[in-house]
Amino acid sequence: MDNNATPATRPAVGAAGKSRDTRNTGPGRLLIAVYAVFAISATARAGYQILTKFEEAPLAYLLSAFAAVVYIIATVSLAKPGPTWFKISVAAVLVELVGVLVVGALSIFDSVQFPHETVWSLFGRGYAFIPLLLPILGLAWLYRRRPSK
Amino acid sequence: MDAYFYIILIVGLASTLLCVGAGVLKKAPNDVTILSVVAVEVALLVYLVGSIVRVIAGEPIAGEAWEFWGYMATALLLPPVAVYWSILERTRWSNFVLAAIGVTALVMAARMNQIWY
Repeated sequence: MDNNATPATRPAVGAAGKSRDTRNTGPGRLLIAVYAVFAISATARAGYQILTKFEEAPLAYLLSAFAAVVYIIATVSLAKPGPTWFKISVAAVLVELVGVLVVGALSIFDSVQFPHETVWSLFGRGYAFIPLLLPILGLAWLYRRRPSK
Repeated sequence: MDAYFYIILIVGLASTLLCVGAGVLKKAPNDVTILSVVAVEVALLVYLVGSIVRVIAGEPIAGEAWEFWGYMATALLLPPVAVYWSILERTRWSNFVLAAIGVTALVMAARMNQIWY
């Protein structure tokens, strides 16, 4: 037992600090699980597209690969504790949100440049719009678990 | 869509509904929800064995063979990982993680069917 702190306050502060610093608990676990599934499927799909038919639509398939990297970073950073990983999570989820909005809009308005399917095409319609929902839920979860104060 | 897909469709949907129900009722993963995910794994194993038998019997896969087997291997990995992950933290949220397996397996089985035919 620490003599400098009263028994009542020390563990409480420790527990609160610890719970704020991790995001891999409770609903966060579901979020990480879904991110992991998207990381696997996006990586496999991008790898397949680039290896077999890259010249058909280089831009779309590079976007696929980029989306895969974003999902991998989001999955790992959400699972890791600490403020640095928190910042990486926020960055990855924001990039994901911008990506799905921009690519979603481009695939509607400029279907000539973006004729080939990526995870983010048509706001993720091919994946039941989960790619559009995921970053919003991610940001909500990160906001609730923000390390400040 | 063949019989394998419909088996996984039924088992997967049942597992997802059970696990969502348990999560909504604020229950931690228990024998029922974990065994329902095990049932999904068994259904996938049936698909695996059936597919191996069909390939040996000389039936061709219309799409890319390695894409089919890639989906199969990934789908088979997901249930054990989800069960392990849910045992590490036994809260209601882990039931939602388990719930994700049934639908994921059924989506992947649909894709495998598309590749096969």
